[in-house]
Amino acid sequence: MIPQQPVYLEDKVDEIRQSGRLDYRSQALPTWCPGCGYYSVTEGLANALNDLQIEKENTVVVSGIGCASRFPFFMDTYGFHTLHGRALPVATGIKVANEKLTVVAIGGDGDGFAIGGGHIPHAARRNVDITYILFDNGIYGLTKGQVSPTSAIGFKTSTSPFENRDAPLNPLLMLLSYGASWVGQTYAGWPHHLAGLVQQALEHPGFSYLHVLSPCVTFDKTDRTYQNLDLTVRELDSDHDSSDLALAMQAASDTRSPALGLYYTSQRETLGQALDQVALRAGAGG
Amino acid sequence: MAYDTDIQISICGSAGDGTIAVGDIFKRAMAHIGYRVIAFDQYPAEIRGFGKCIARTRVATSRVYSMKGYSDVLVSLNDLHAIPHVGEVRNYGALIYDSAPMSAVAEGAHISGHLKPGHIPYALPMREVSELATGANRSRNFVALGFVAGLYQLPQDAFHHAIAAKFESKAAAVTKSALAAFDSGFEAGAASYQFDDVRIDAPRGRKSTHEARMMTGNGAIVQGCLDAGIETFFGYPITPATGIMEHLAVEMPRHGGRLVQTEDEIAAISAAIGAGYAGSRAATATSGPGLSLMTEMMGLGVMAEVPVVIFVSQRGGPSTGLPTKTEQSDLNLAVWGGHGDARRIVLAPTNVEGCRRCAGRAFEIAEQFQVPVIVLVDLYLSNRYETVFLQDENEFLPKNWKPATTPGAGYRRYELTTDGVSPRCIPGEAGGIHTATGLEHDEYGNPSDNSGTHSLMTQKRHEKLQAAIKHPGINFTKRFGDSGKVEVGLLTWGSSFGEALEAMLLAQQEGIRCAAMKVVMLSPFPVRSVLRFYKDCQQILVPELNYTGQFAKLLTSEIALPVTRISHATGAPLDVANLVEAIRRAARKHRRRHNAA
Repeated sequence: MIPQQPVYLEDKVDEIRQSGRLDYRSQALPTWCPGCGYYSVTEGLANALNDLQIEKENTVVVSGIGCASRFPFFMDTYGFHTLHGRALPVATGIKVANEKLTVVAIGGDGDGFAIGGGHIPHAARRNVDITYILFDNGIYGLTKGQVSPTSAIGFKTSTSPFENRDAPLNPLLMLLSYGASWVGQTYAGWPHHLAGLVQQALEHPGFSYLHVLSPCVTFDKTDRTYQNLDLTVRELDSDHDSSDLALAMQAASDTRSPALGLYYTSQRETLGQALDQVALRAGAGG
Repeated sequence: MAYDTDIQISICGSAGDGTIAVGDIFKRAMAHIGYRVIAFDQYPAEIRGFGKCIARTRVATSRVYSMKGYSDVLVSLNDLHAIPHVGEVRNYGALIYDSAPMSAVAEGAHISGHLKPGHIPYALPMREVSELATGANRSRNFVALGFVAGLYQLPQDAFHHAIAAKFESKAAAVTKSALAAFDSGFEAGAASYQFDDVRIDAPRGRKSTHEARMMTGNGAIVQGCLDAGIETFFGYPITPATGIMEHLAVEMPRHGGRLVQTEDEIAAISAAIGAGYAGSRAATATSGPGLSLMTEMMGLGVMAEVPVVIFVSQRGGPSTGLPTKTEQSDLNLAVWGGHGDARRIVLAPTNVEGCRRCAGRAFEIAEQFQVPVIVLVDLYLSNRYETVFLQDENEFLPKNWKPATTPGAGYRRYELTTDGVSPRCIPGEAGGIHTATGLEHDEYGNPSDNSGTHSLMTQKRHEKLQAAIKHPGINFTKRFGDSGKVEVGLLTWGSSFGEALEAMLLAQQEGIRCAAMKVVMLSPFPVRSVLRFYKDCQQILVPELNYTGQFAKLLTSEIALPVTRISHATGAPLDVANLVEAIRRAARKHRRRHNAA
């Protein structure tokens, strides 16, 4: 993914200014560490919203608590920085209240799969028309480096000083079996790939789950580093059929060499459509 | 006597006897005739099995405020369950029971062996009458109901009407056999000589301009939600609040509202806060265990200044406690629960009409002050029926909040204003972009741990609520009884106020100067009006349904003056007779002191 032609900073700045995607960024400087993978998600989301011409006042970015969850402050859209683990139910409430809004939920691996783990199946099975972007760095960064539900076995942190012995979750397999209607995986080190998938996820009608593999450059020097991820990630097979759930599950089972791309997509009734049907059956307005 | 007619009838049976069903028909028929009715049913916690069911209905020609501590009539459909309740029948009250049970019963197992001197028995072969009238023994309950109606010469057509309405959706044969059983019972009742002194006179002619309806506290909450134009509801089933969600699930979709049953109470309040943030009139409903789970998210609602309404129906606690019994032990949790200085608004209606009013006003108050509002009731109020006279359905104000005067780059979502209320924008409004957060923040909503900011913002979040005490359309305190200086004052809240008021009326008849005040707004506390009442009373009694005196403690923390607690934690409502005794004692004490001085 290294560009072949030299890129000059001034040209790039001009290009970014003219693209309009800076309009989606707030004046606040991100609080993330230099080199953090999360910058590419900010860039990717701003890009996608700009390309899709979604008005920023009709966009709500909802987050929980954690490094990733600081995200809404760096966007010039409506934002709701909620409680640890609760981004999805809050986002569900916002979408149910106003279907016109584009609602993006953002969170990290601890926020989503530890404390908030009980909400993911339900957002997925209800097919709430929101996009959930989960930044997975396998560590609790904001509390300065503790083991997370996606940390590898053998990973040493301040709360696993004798190495982690708990098996990590497989988020993609979970989401596929929960009935998420769009499941993709990308990598913070591949910003163009990331931006493309964010756009697809936003376009999907229904619950879209985008898993972003990302390093924590400050607290993880050994496991999920850019160097290690660059060596292990690969693109999904070019003949992958994203309408085949069994195939998607098979691909998701390969955790040694994580495949990036769209695993699975299907169309079914969203929560909003279901509620409209309920209203019809109840005889709304009659 | 204060009332021309004021009787309480209890029908007691086993689950499956149709006890609650005939109790329901009785209260609806009586309300239809024009009586004021209060009814409270007791069910077992289990759905199947042979648990005890009691349907108690109080019927009066004037307004009454609570159930009576005794019954005038007890109908037994199952002696095993009814025997422990024989004692609640007053002297010269009636006991109606089956004289021809299904099979032979041991001497002590039949209710006739448990009557007290002064009880008037009516032995009715319910099973035989049912079999003769319908060909089956399943209609004993209607035979008994008919007997009561016949014995006390109640208008037969009102019951026919109520029975037909009850079985409207069932097959015609069901209505037919119920009516046949009722009529046979009625005939038997009319042919019986009345030995008891229970009198049910015709109601007074005074008719309200509003339609009289039988409604529970939960039903009234639903009505208030609908009248206020509720748009979104998120809930998780829990006794005794489930009825609110079930009823809204039917009604909301018809009225353009949306309801989602969430995965737990945390998700319910989270989604409601999300919906409130997005500008809809949003609510959830739960009981104590659910409220425990919701406290963290309520704190976010306070911090991010998001309107949301939370209906809480208390039951016995702690932990799973007594799911089908009443208690007022979640006041501390509702008023103080959660971490940080997180004052919210808590309203506690005292009767069924109050449930509707508080529900509707809660949406207005939440919006106007941008804060979570809890409407706190309990199982006794949630489930008890009262005749209510429905007010104007357009009584409540439409959605409204302080708009942004300078939208755009200079927009400050958490602007420090003189009244503490900031201009609010919701997603979709171009000039109002901001990020709401649970972090302490400056006027723009940007995170800030500056000490000056924290103290100013904390002050704003608290001070803005003071004006809620003046919100129109609702009495946050109300005084009843003698005016001016009194010997004894009762100060209480929620469902217990009904018993307190009844006790006060009885004590007045005994020549005791007394008054009662209900406190409907628990947070922020209406200190001034409570203090004024306090100063008029020589003795203050604070009866409530909990062990630790949660309201008394709230009261003394707000007014810093002593009160006498009457705490009662049995899972049942207060006993009016005991309260009257407490008033007498307090009055005697006061008089002794007065005479000594």
